[in-house]
Amino acid sequence: MLKTVFNVIKTKHIQTNQGLQCLGPFTTQACKFSNTSQLCHSEKQTHEEKQNISKAMKAYLDRAREHDEFMNEQNQEYQLGKRHLANMMGESPETFTQHDVDNAIEYLFPSGLFEKKARPMMKPPEEVFPQRKAAEFDETGRPHHFLFYTGKASFYQVLHDTVQHIVDLNRFEDAMIRKGMRPDKDQKINLSGYQWIDKDSLEAKLVETIGDKDYESFVQAFERLCSLPYSYKVKDFIMEYRKPLMSQTKAHDAPKPQYDENGRAFVTTYECLRKSARGDVTIRSPGTGKISINGEDITYFDLLQCREQVIFPLLFTNMINKVDIEANVEGGGSSGQAGAIRWGIAWGLRSFLDQETIEKMRLAGLLTRDYRTRERKKPGQQGARRKFTWKKR
Amino acid sequence: MISTKLMQVKSLCSYTCLRKLSAVSPKEKQVTKEDPVLNHPDYFNVHNLFTVKDLFDARVHYGHRDGSLDERMLPYVYGSRLGHVIFDLDKTAEYLRMALNITAHVAYRDGLILLFYRGSQNSHIVEKTAKDCGEFAHTRFWRGGIFTNANKQFGAITRLPDLCIFFNTLNNVLTQHTAIRDSAKMSIATIGVVDSNCNPNLITYPVPGNDDSPTAVELYCKLFKQAILRGKEKRKEHESHK
Repeated sequence: MLKTVFNVIKTKHIQTNQGLQCLGPFTTQACKFSNTSQLCHSEKQTHEEKQNISKAMKAYLDRAREHDEFMNEQNQEYQLGKRHLANMMGESPETFTQHDVDNAIEYLFPSGLFEKKARPMMKPPEEVFPQRKAAEFDETGRPHHFLFYTGKASFYQVLHDTVQHIVDLNRFEDAMIRKGMRPDKDQKINLSGYQWIDKDSLEAKLVETIGDKDYESFVQAFERLCSLPYSYKVKDFIMEYRKPLMSQTKAHDAPKPQYDENGRAFVTTYECLRKSARGDVTIRSPGTGKISINGEDITYFDLLQCREQVIFPLLFTNMINKVDIEANVEGGGSSGQAGAIRWGIAWGLRSFLDQETIEKMRLAGLLTRDYRTRERKKPGQQGARRKFTWKKR
Repeated sequence: MISTKLMQVKSLCSYTCLRKLSAVSPKEKQVTKEDPVLNHPDYFNVHNLFTVKDLFDARVHYGHRDGSLDERMLPYVYGSRLGHVIFDLDKTAEYLRMALNITAHVAYRDGLILLFYRGSQNSHIVEKTAKDCGEFAHTRFWRGGIFTNANKQFGAITRLPDLCIFFNTLNNVLTQHTAIRDSAKMSIATIGVVDSNCNPNLITYPVPGNDDSPTAVELYCKLFKQAILRGKEKRKEHESHK
C-alpha cells in the first residue's frame, strides 16, 4: 500500500461521462504485434501493468464494462423499436426523429394520465437511465478530488470556492480602504429578477444528492458573498448559481410585423383561446382605432363589460387610436369571445411596443393565457359542485 | 531518541501493510534494514521547519481553562497560569517533529493523507492546505461509516487514506471526532493536535497544543504542508534517478 509506484505505464485516460469505452489497453495491445517475441514482451508488460492497478480501479473498470454492455443493449433495442415504429407510422426509419417517436407514441398509446412522466414513452437510454460519474480516482486508487472523502465533493467544492471568494474580497476591500478608495456604486451587483437555482437543479448540476440543510448552507454562503461591497468582482461565479425569474415570457419573442399592400405593418395572432371560444386577431399600424369583430364593430358585444375587455389592452398601452383591430372569433359565449380577443390584441401589440411596456403588460396579467374552462356537471349533483337540496324528512 | 523515531517509522509501515484494501501489492521497495530513507533519523530534515519560538509566537502553548483539563494530558502540561493550562513547548516540539517526520515519510511513499478540522473558523485554511499539497481534506459533518463501510458509502471499492491528520480532535466541546475511533478500527495511523481538554489515547502521534487559535492552526497547516511537499519532492527526485 504505502508502496511506491515506479514505471507506471500510462493507461488511456478515462473521461467519458458514463465511464464507457475504457477497456482499451489490456486486450488490444497484444493484437498489434505480429512477432512472437514481441508478443511475449507485451504480455509481460500487460501483466506488470495489471499489478500496478489498484483493486479500486479494477472494480471500477469491471463496473464500467458492465454498464457499457447494458447501455449498448438498451441502445440497440431502442434503435430497433424506432424502426418498427417508423414502419408502423409509414415513414422512413432513417429520417424518423425523436420528435416523431414522441408523436407516434402519443398517437398509438393515448393516455389520460395526469402525470406526464407516467404516460407511455420511448426515449433514448441515455435519458432514461441516470447519468453516472466517471472514475473518481487514478490507477493507484488515489482520488482526483481533494474533498473526495466528504462524499459530496462537488458540493463542498462550491462552498469552498465561495469562502475563497469571500476571503479574497475581504482582503481586496482592506487594500482599497488603505488606499482610500470606495466600491463603484454603478457596478453594484443587481440580483433582482433572479433567484438562486433550486435544490433539484443544483443536484442535477453537481450530479450529487444534497440534503435540505446543505442547500440552506449553500444559499447562506452565497447571500453572504453577495452582501460584500465588492461582490461585483465575482459576478460570473455568482450568476452561475442564479436563474432568471421570468424566463418564460422572455422566451416568447414578439414576432416582427409584416407589411400589407398599403405599406401598413400588421401582425396576426392565431389561436386566441379563452373558455371554448377561439379566434384570430390582426393588428394593423398605423390606424385610427377601428375595431371590427366578425365584420361588425365593437357593438358586436351587447355587454359593456365585454366591450371593456376588448379595449382594455389598447387603453392600458395607450394605443387606442393608433392601431386597427380585425378579429374573427367563434365558439363560446360573449365573455369567452371577448377574453380571447383581449389576449390576442395584447399578444399582438407586443410587436409595436417597447420592452418596458411589455413588462408592464406582463405584470398586469394581459399576456397570461387564462386556462380556466367550464367544469363538468357531476351525476347526483345539481351542477359541478352544487348539491341537490337535501331535507332530512 | 533516534531509536524511538525509527521504531515509529517501522511500526507505521507494518500497520499499514496489514490493510489489504489500499493501493497495490507490496511488490517492490521492500523495507530492509539497509534502507537509507527509513534508517535515517530525520531524512526529510523536518526538525528545521520550526523552532520553539515559532510555536510560542503562534500561541501553541495556550490550553483551555484548567477546570476542563483531561487528566491524560497531564504529562504534556507545563503548568497553569491565571486559571489556564500552559503546555510544555519543549515536549510539543518533540512530538510535532515526530509527527512531521511520519507525514513526510507517508507522502514520500505516495500515501494518501487526509486532513481534518471541525469548526467554521479555521476549516477553510485546512481545506486550502490539502488542495495546495495535493492531499485530501474533510472539514464537514462526518457521516458515519466513511472508513468502516467505505465500499457501501462510495458505491465501490475505495482506497482509504493512509494517514489522518486532525488539527483538532473534538467535534464539539464534549465529543471526540468519530473518525479517530474509525481510523483506530481500520488501523489507519493518526496524527492529532490535542488540546488540554482532549483524550490522546486513540491517536497514534499526538501533538499537545492549542487547537483553536487561527494563528496556531495556520502554523500547523504551514508545517504539515511543507513536510508533505518535502516528502513528495524527494520521491520525485528518486523516481527521476531510477
